[in-house]
Amino acid sequence: MPTSSASNHSSHPEDLIGRLNSAHTPYEVKLKALRDLKNQIIGNRTKKLAFLKLGAVNSVVSILSSAVVAGGWENREFYELVLVQCAAIIGSFACGLEEGVNAVLDAGAFPLLLNLITHINDKVADAGARSLKLIYQSKRAPEYDFLQEKNMEFLLSLLNSKNENVSGLGANIITHSCQTTLEQNTLSEAGVIERLVGLLRGSLIQRDASLESLASMIYGNPEVASKFLSPENGRALSVVVELIKDKQPRTRMLACMCLIYLRNASTSYLQDSEIKNKLVMILLELLDDPGQVGDEAPFVLSSLISQKEDMQKIAYDADVVDKLCENLNIFSFQPTRLQGTFLALADLCSKLECCRDRVIHLKVFKFVTEALAHDNPHVRSAACYFLRNVSRSVKNLSAGQFMNEAVAAPLVQLLFDSNESVQIAALGAISNVVVDFTAHKSLFMQFGGVKQLVQLSKSMESAIRINAVWALKNLAFLVNNKCKEEILLELTISTLSSLISDPEASVQEQALALVRNLVDGTLNSIDYVFGENGLLLHAIGKQLWSTSKVEVLIQGMYTLSNVASGNELHKEAVMDQLFPKTINDKETVLVMFMQSADSRLRTAAVWALVNLTFPSSPGACGRVTKLQNAGIVCQLKNIVNDPCLDVKLRARTALGQLIMFGDAS
Amino acid sequence: MPVRVVDASSPSQVLGTTSGNNLPPPCTLLSVGQAFSGTQNVSSLQKDEAWRVNVRIQGCDLDHGYLCGTMEALNVPMADTPVITFWEGEIVDTKNYTFFTGKWGATTEDDIKHWTKFASFSPLQSQVEADGGKSLDLSNYPHIFMRWKEQYFVNVGTDCGLTIAGFYYVCFSCSDGSISGYYYDPNSSPFQKLELKTTNEGRFGYSFSTYELQ
Repeated sequence: MPTSSASNHSSHPEDLIGRLNSAHTPYEVKLKALRDLKNQIIGNRTKKLAFLKLGAVNSVVSILSSAVVAGGWENREFYELVLVQCAAIIGSFACGLEEGVNAVLDAGAFPLLLNLITHINDKVADAGARSLKLIYQSKRAPEYDFLQEKNMEFLLSLLNSKNENVSGLGANIITHSCQTTLEQNTLSEAGVIERLVGLLRGSLIQRDASLESLASMIYGNPEVASKFLSPENGRALSVVVELIKDKQPRTRMLACMCLIYLRNASTSYLQDSEIKNKLVMILLELLDDPGQVGDEAPFVLSSLISQKEDMQKIAYDADVVDKLCENLNIFSFQPTRLQGTFLALADLCSKLECCRDRVIHLKVFKFVTEALAHDNPHVRSAACYFLRNVSRSVKNLSAGQFMNEAVAAPLVQLLFDSNESVQIAALGAISNVVVDFTAHKSLFMQFGGVKQLVQLSKSMESAIRINAVWALKNLAFLVNNKCKEEILLELTISTLSSLISDPEASVQEQALALVRNLVDGTLNSIDYVFGENGLLLHAIGKQLWSTSKVEVLIQGMYTLSNVASGNELHKEAVMDQLFPKTINDKETVLVMFMQSADSRLRTAAVWALVNLTFPSSPGACGRVTKLQNAGIVCQLKNIVNDPCLDVKLRARTALGQLIMFGDAS
Repeated sequence: MPVRVVDASSPSQVLGTTSGNNLPPPCTLLSVGQAFSGTQNVSSLQKDEAWRVNVRIQGCDLDHGYLCGTMEALNVPMADTPVITFWEGEIVDTKNYTFFTGKWGATTEDDIKHWTKFASFSPLQSQVEADGGKSLDLSNYPHIFMRWKEQYFVNVGTDCGLTIAGFYYVCFSCSDGSISGYYYDPNSSPFQKLELKTTNEGRFGYSFSTYELQ
């Protein structure tokens, strides 16, 4: 049977690469092989990976490089065809495949492609721009230094180009590389905004690229935002407002993003209820998009509602919670979508109890359990943020919603995660979950949580130490003595006392608050601070005399105050810390604390006095004398009319008790 | 605290927000972890009866005028175990909540009738009658007025024969931490009085625990 004689070359990958690499292959045959390669890999991830393994990118970049040189001498038109094919293939390898981007950059394609943009033949320039655009979709693309004058000139020339791919590339470069306020301002001063506004009226490619780069310039920058809105840009804002109704989903999403960044940059723009509702409704609809737009929409939604209770309420009323939960079911296999959905749900649940109730009602925990064990660390972190925010509900903590196999057990596993960001995110969620008011705190210990929290409290990374001790503090809140003993056994008194003296003030604060909880509850729990010759008590006392951080002092004073609510021995031990033998009897930190500008510290100090002079305790009389000698009565009289009601009332109680034991004048 | 079912109306839902105890409480004696004990008089025409009651504060969010906790009724005749309910409180701060309830079946007259039972309310009464107390600054007033509404049973099912349909008008004394309250439910005996005192759990003084939500 006769066959087509169009090709007598095999299209087998190895043969194809062989032809591209061979010095003996004529250029005509190489061009044919390039076309063949391009057709095989377009949209085919498997093929791309197979050719990557065979070193196809290096082969193509090498041909591109030699064609650039050769085209300058003879047969220009032919070599331009080769250039176009090479650029297209390189772009295709970089499209949606990180391994491809890496190979392209490693092979040195980037500067070659950049050169093509200024090529005399518009088709070559176009192919170069398309290819670079695809590379710029990856985070791995090289950063563009806008601060160099030469670079800025080149960028402006790109934006001015009549070729939509070239001007679009200019905008893509901005989206990719504009990150700092300095870069935003430099671009703005160079007149970039005016050019981007011009592109808003251009083709679809130019419009989308312009919207995205405008967003990156406006993000968190009120100055650039107001420049965008200035009269010299004409009706730029109304153009963007119109584009949120565009028929292209991506355009709608990018226009929303632009408007959201504008309103986030300053509270004076776009705050009317019409635009608020519109943005929510458009994003709600975009959440349904099965492709990239749908993957990105939850992140855009998140930027709209994050920290904004009014926006969260509007989103809740528009059933956004239901839609996001529904998507957890539909798109559970897409990591980016999962991450974005959990982040948006986390934002919704950050403040509003109705949102938390709704997600619990919609039974999202089964998806959370899976997400906490996901391969992708961003998904694991996002699930932790969601859990942290949903467990801010005291009502649900009290109902024991979180301390179970589905939530607490996988969270504990994340404390072993190799990724530090995931560990910190997990610690945030655990800190809340362990507050659990039911009698189920022991479950957390059964899951191995205490052991690992203690390990993390010894981390070199201070953020991990703070969060681990924070979680231990919350776990120790209203817990029974058996659990307290388990915490102390694992943590040891000496580690706890080192945490009280940690170089980080926030760790000191959390460690003191942990001791405060350990000595609360039954009377005998006060004895915990007397172990190992009162190591903890000395550490607390030492910190009170040496630090000036008010948060640390407050926790330290409440801890001593709790100890002072015990028996005679306990109260006398507190006196020893407040009046150390090495220091003059008349000097005590108490006076300083009672004069603090912070009413919380004044309150804590006066509570300690109330406990030390508690009427039914037999040794109160001796302590009263010591306190009087230190000038405490005088200090108390100064604060019996304190502007803070709590201080005032406690001071009156303490003064009354002091007076009961003698002449307090 | 639950009372016997007379009418099977369901409790109203409240949209509230909580952020734990990140802000200082209005008064340390009303901070998270604090415990109170006392009685609720449930006497009716037929007999005199009082149930022992324990209360524990679990959450406080001043920004939203919110307080919550549990209430444990100890000698409930119909129950085998103490009955624990979870309640949410509205702090009358004239910003988030005023003295007028505006829900749960309570009219303005019911409100005034109950608030006036507290002696500490009398200096405020005329202003409350004029504008609901909107112009009052209660931030330094030594009494805190609240409404506590039970939301669910913690340790028994809803079929326990008890109801939490009503709510409490509550007055807390910042000086000594005592709490008095009146249960309001049109279907229960009127003015059931709740009286609680701060407990020091066997200590010779006051102890304060803490937690912070992230």
